Amino acid sequence: MLVEIFITMLILALVAAALNKYPKISGIVTFFASLIPFLVVISWSQDIGLSFPQFLKFFTLEKSLNYNIGIATFMLKITPLGWFFLLLLASAFPMAILFSITFIKKNAGGFYAAMITSMIGSMGILLAQDILSFYMFWEIMSWSILALVMRSHDKKAIMSYLSFGVLSAMLILLGIMLLYSETGTFVFSEMGFMANNTTLIALSLLVSGFAVKGVLVPMHVWAPYVYSRSEEPFVAFLSGGLSKLGYFAMILFMYSVVGISVLNSWGTFRDVSIFGYTLAFIGALTAFIGTVLAIMQDDLRKLLAYSSIGQLGYIAIGIGIGTPLAMTGALFQALNHTFFKSALFLAAGAVYYRTGKWKISELGGLGYKMPFTFLAVLFAIFALAGIPITSGFAAKWLLYEAAIQKKFLFITPIMLIAGVGAFLYSYKILYGVFLGEPRHNVKEAPLSQLAAMWLLVLPLIIFLIFPGWFVDLTSPILKWYGLMPISHTPYTITTSLAAYNTLAVILALIGGLILAFALYFSKPQKVVPHTDNYLAGEPPELYEHISMHAASKYYEPFDEVFYPFFKRGAEMCWMAILKFVKILGEGARAIYTGIVNDYSIYILIFFLLLVGWWLIW
Amino acid sequence: MVMFDVPPVLLIAFPLFFAFLAPLIYYLSKKSIKFYTLGVLILNAILSYFLFFRVMDEGVVYEQLSGFYPPVGILLAVGYLGSILAMLINTLATINYVSFFDEKSHSLRFSMLYMLVTASSTGIVVTGDLFNMFVFFEITAVGSYGLLASKGTKRSYEGAIKYIVLGSIGSSFILLGIATIYGYLKTLNFYDIAARISTMPIEAKLMAFTFLVIGIGVEAEIFPLNGWVPDAYQGASSRVASFMVLGPSKAGIYAIARLIFTLIPFSDGYELALILGALTLLIGELAALNQKDVKRMLAYSSIGQMGLILIALSLHSQIALIAAVFLIVNHALAKSLLFLGSRNYASGILKNPVIGASIFIGALSIIGMPPFPGFWGKWYLIVDMAHNGLWFMISVILFAAIVEAVYYARFLFRGTGNEKVTLLPGEKIAIISLAVLLVIIALFPFLLYNPASNAATSFLGGGP
Amino acid sequence: MVMNIITSILVMSGMVALGFAIGMLFNGIARKVVARIHNRVGPPVYQGYIDVFKLFSKKTNISHGWIFDLAALFSVGGIALTFLFLPVAGVSMLSGEGDLFLILYLIAIPALGFALGAGASGNPNAAVGMMRALMMMLAYELPIAMVIVAMMVYYNTTSLAGIVAMQSNLKWAIGIPPFLIGALVADMALQGMLMEKPFDIPLAPHEIATGPLVEFGGKHLGSIILYKMMGTVVETTLFVDLFLGGGVVLNVNQFGWFAYLVNFIVWFVLILVVFLIAVIINAVFPRFRIEQALKFYWKYDALVALFILFWIFSGVMV
Repeated sequence: MLVEIFITMLILALVAAALNKYPKISGIVTFFASLIPFLVVISWSQDIGLSFPQFLKFFTLEKSLNYNIGIATFMLKITPLGWFFLLLLASAFPMAILFSITFIKKNAGGFYAAMITSMIGSMGILLAQDILSFYMFWEIMSWSILALVMRSHDKKAIMSYLSFGVLSAMLILLGIMLLYSETGTFVFSEMGFMANNTTLIALSLLVSGFAVKGVLVPMHVWAPYVYSRSEEPFVAFLSGGLSKLGYFAMILFMYSVVGISVLNSWGTFRDVSIFGYTLAFIGALTAFIGTVLAIMQDDLRKLLAYSSIGQLGYIAIGIGIGTPLAMTGALFQALNHTFFKSALFLAAGAVYYRTGKWKISELGGLGYKMPFTFLAVLFAIFALAGIPITSGFAAKWLLYEAAIQKKFLFITPIMLIAGVGAFLYSYKILYGVFLGEPRHNVKEAPLSQLAAMWLLVLPLIIFLIFPGWFVDLTSPILKWYGLMPISHTPYTITTSLAAYNTLAVILALIGGLILAFALYFSKPQKVVPHTDNYLAGEPPELYEHISMHAASKYYEPFDEVFYPFFKRGAEMCWMAILKFVKILGEGARAIYTGIVNDYSIYILIFFLLLVGWWLIW
Repeated sequence: MVMFDVPPVLLIAFPLFFAFLAPLIYYLSKKSIKFYTLGVLILNAILSYFLFFRVMDEGVVYEQLSGFYPPVGILLAVGYLGSILAMLINTLATINYVSFFDEKSHSLRFSMLYMLVTASSTGIVVTGDLFNMFVFFEITAVGSYGLLASKGTKRSYEGAIKYIVLGSIGSSFILLGIATIYGYLKTLNFYDIAARISTMPIEAKLMAFTFLVIGIGVEAEIFPLNGWVPDAYQGASSRVASFMVLGPSKAGIYAIARLIFTLIPFSDGYELALILGALTLLIGELAALNQKDVKRMLAYSSIGQMGLILIALSLHSQIALIAAVFLIVNHALAKSLLFLGSRNYASGILKNPVIGASIFIGALSIIGMPPFPGFWGKWYLIVDMAHNGLWFMISVILFAAIVEAVYYARFLFRGTGNEKVTLLPGEKIAIISLAVLLVIIALFPFLLYNPASNAATSFLGGGP
Repeated sequence: MVMNIITSILVMSGMVALGFAIGMLFNGIARKVVARIHNRVGPPVYQGYIDVFKLFSKKTNISHGWIFDLAALFSVGGIALTFLFLPVAGVSMLSGEGDLFLILYLIAIPALGFALGAGASGNPNAAVGMMRALMMMLAYELPIAMVIVAMMVYYNTTSLAGIVAMQSNLKWAIGIPPFLIGALVADMALQGMLMEKPFDIPLAPHEIATGPLVEFGGKHLGSIILYKMMGTVVETTLFVDLFLGGGVVLNVNQFGWFAYLVNFIVWFVLILVVFLIAVIINAVFPRFRIEQALKFYWKYDALVALFILFWIFSGVMV
């Protein structure tokens, strides 16, 4: 059955590609294809130990599958970890497709085919039980993304994606080959590890390879280019869905394949392995750097790209610490990020769809024109910034608790300050795009785009009220790793340090709002246009040439303070390496002088060298 | 499966005969010459399939020519690798010929040379006799000079002349090597030589090895003997370059394989091949990194791929040889695809969905992305190296792959330009068919794996 | 059960009302004190009440659309919500249901609501003021986050009620050497939090016409002013809870209602003192530019906080 599902999706991809001339029909076909993974993942819920109702079992699926392609066997199996990440991807994917039905107009067939292929690759990665199928599906996923990136026709995006993609592939390949030579088997479950240096090197290589997909500093350089220059539905899925695969793979290799005991045997720091601590520190650094750079951006997509980098850093922190609390927090953050970042990128796409602009300083005042888009963005931003009106806060709270529990004195303030930084760029989006002077006379986004955004925002609100449900979702994973699930009821989470009751927060908020309403409705009001007050009664036509929207260079003092520190970033280092290799390349090119005499002399020298070698030998 | 037992000699004799018959056809009807050539190539390709299946059924097929028995007479010995390559060369030569189909002035000379080179390249991979191989090398080389120059521009002549100079040096080295061996062993049959090579004095053996490596290395594009490659490929038309990649260079690498496995196998030879392979790989890939001219870049990339194949050969183990077969097939398919696509490259070629996807697949396969054959080649190669703990070599290969990715990224980017695509219909057909072949091997890798596995076993046993 | 809920709702409403009342009083006190320092007479102490009452009884209320109205709702509702999660004079209303991290994020709800309204007003001055306010927030948040993390690790709890409980029997955090310095660092941050000089650049009445507040009037301005006034109470209470034991001097179990009375008086005196320190600094200083403020907090204040972190770090390691 599983094979048939893969083949069905592949066929639907071809059908979508064949319908290139009819973008909407192609999109609708793809939308149906995109629902398959979601139905599959729901059907599996009982197999991994979740009590989902029986009627949600759409397919009867085998739990594991060994598929022989003649020269190798792919071992696929559903695990709690894979299931969880598949749930994330399978939820974000249909929404991206739903959005594209109205958004993608040129060469739609290729777009949809590549999107489905990337989902097929992701499914394979999440189910893989051996090195070969893991790597194979990883690369299928990776180059379907490349096909989508190439649609941007942007040199920087294509170059940086392909270079970093292959760099990551090679790091992963080297890492898994080291693991293979160490254990002599391809199958994850058969690998028994010794805590030696080879394994450490292998694991470091693997994690740095996965960090490219997970956009951790300093492997993040490609992300701003790719995120900011490709089409929004794809970017929504790339940032929201596919970037999680890097973190899935980190958890898989660190805790499943190699195992916590081996990690700990390389040294621990307050009961956290040094390896994990380093990862957590890199994660914190990523959160900080991503946030600061996001504050500096004017391009809406670039801002979202850097904010994505910043938010993904939190996941790495959780994975690094590795306690039940931290793991739950990391998974929760992964879930939140999937939904809010997809929604934000889609909203950016909707704004572009209506206005044709990306620059924050050129937008403004769309809040009244596109109220539903604005509200979706508002909720997504609540989740992003961790305001306790959506589930975004619970994830961050778990991570803070985990860090304090392990007495991480230096990581926690960095996380906190990155969280505050998120307020800054969130407000830049809100003010620059949706508030302030209305300058565009546009309509609300099309219904399919709105539906996609709102369906993404909805889970954030549900998991705000019932974070316990989320903990239920993750408890099979924790049990699978032999960890105790954290104690919870549907709306409270309790740790050794404190408790968090969402119901109390909601009720108190409602109470506060009732109070505010009572004050607010005490007097009637009248609505006046924006220009009335600050033009002091002068006719607005006189001031048309003056922009009252103060969004260009919004955080200028901030930029002035931080720019000197971020002027020479990771990109410079990579460019320096590239430059060095290019000099080598120039050297190699100089060998081929184009003069046949030289070539003949090479042959002669080679002959003499060989003779010399034989003589010495 | 086998409908009739194809004698291997037919594969060589058939196109040679019809190549010399071509002037007659040309005299009768100038227009029909291209259909005639295509027909011959298709028939030859079909013959090569029959031969392939025969070899798969029966094992190595031997055939004595001209009534004399070996070691005196000429022996054809078609092994597994030989039959794979014969099939590959003939099929791809046919597909490649389609790309020439739209040329207005279709010259007689070109068609003849094309058939000649196809026949002689096939000859190299099916022969069991050293001198016979040398003769085919000469025919291949002479034919290639003509083909490379056929574009008629200054650059193409320049490239061809460089190839002539280096090719003749190489030929004389081969001849020297043959003379050395014949002088000691009084035989030129591969089996005889292999059986009695240990009786040769060590100095003579080394000298013969040196001469032959240098001579064949010129054809097989091994550094530092490959000076002609960038100039010749750059000068020639993209379609001829594509043909050079799939035909003569593959025959050259087969000859190298025969040399280091059957003819004069010794550990230093493998070591030398490993070092040469690594050098060729690194220098080829690095030189391609900064290259702006697409064809020259692809030529350098070809050199790099040849280095990779040489590394795989030098490991002389079952898995590494399977990897080598995958790499050879991958390079023949993907690189000739890319060469075909390289004409008028800075255009919107990738915006055309089918052609764009084909070129995309070709580039991915060359870089070694799954599930294309290039991936299986690199995968098996690296698995074998990991077995043997050759970590430095693995790092070299992976580094080269990253460099490769960087310049192919530029290659792909330039394909998203705004100029109009002016590929001829024939070229498009050829590109798409090559991509389809790549996809078929990607979907059913065992089609290639099983023959490759047989070939590896046979080679390790000293067979063809 | 039902009685319990009704009682607690009544208690909480009473506490919120008390908070607003104290906030308005503080506003009046501050204006009086500053006036006396400037050698003026100043308005009466109850001027805060008069202002709020007047604003809420205005006949014409100008709005700029529904997003603008959100400001009024969220700022008052949010600050009341935050107040409920603080332990006040040892009375923990909802503070068992959340912790210090929650409080840090809850404070952002009214601020964000206010920011939405300011942005929606479309006035460039409001946008500039909001930018400065947010940057100020980023600036003071670093030192205070470091100090808070140090305290959390030291007391091994993240709950504010827990930290207050640990300081009972007058074992105030300010008596512990690293946290004495920590209190100074946090007091600097408090100055920014309260937007008093030298960190009042976000409002800067003479430059950008009170910044975010510029377009508000009538009941909207009334709401915002209520939020600001209550904000002073919340922030000073947070400081008192962290460093001065929340004003708890008598054990409630031992002394009954008398203890509540004494504790409330002590708490009131303590927040008044903390507030007056801020007001007095405010009265005598000129203002920093925003990048100067950022540099001040991130260079000097944070450096001292880092020193505290290392201090605690060495203690934790031992």
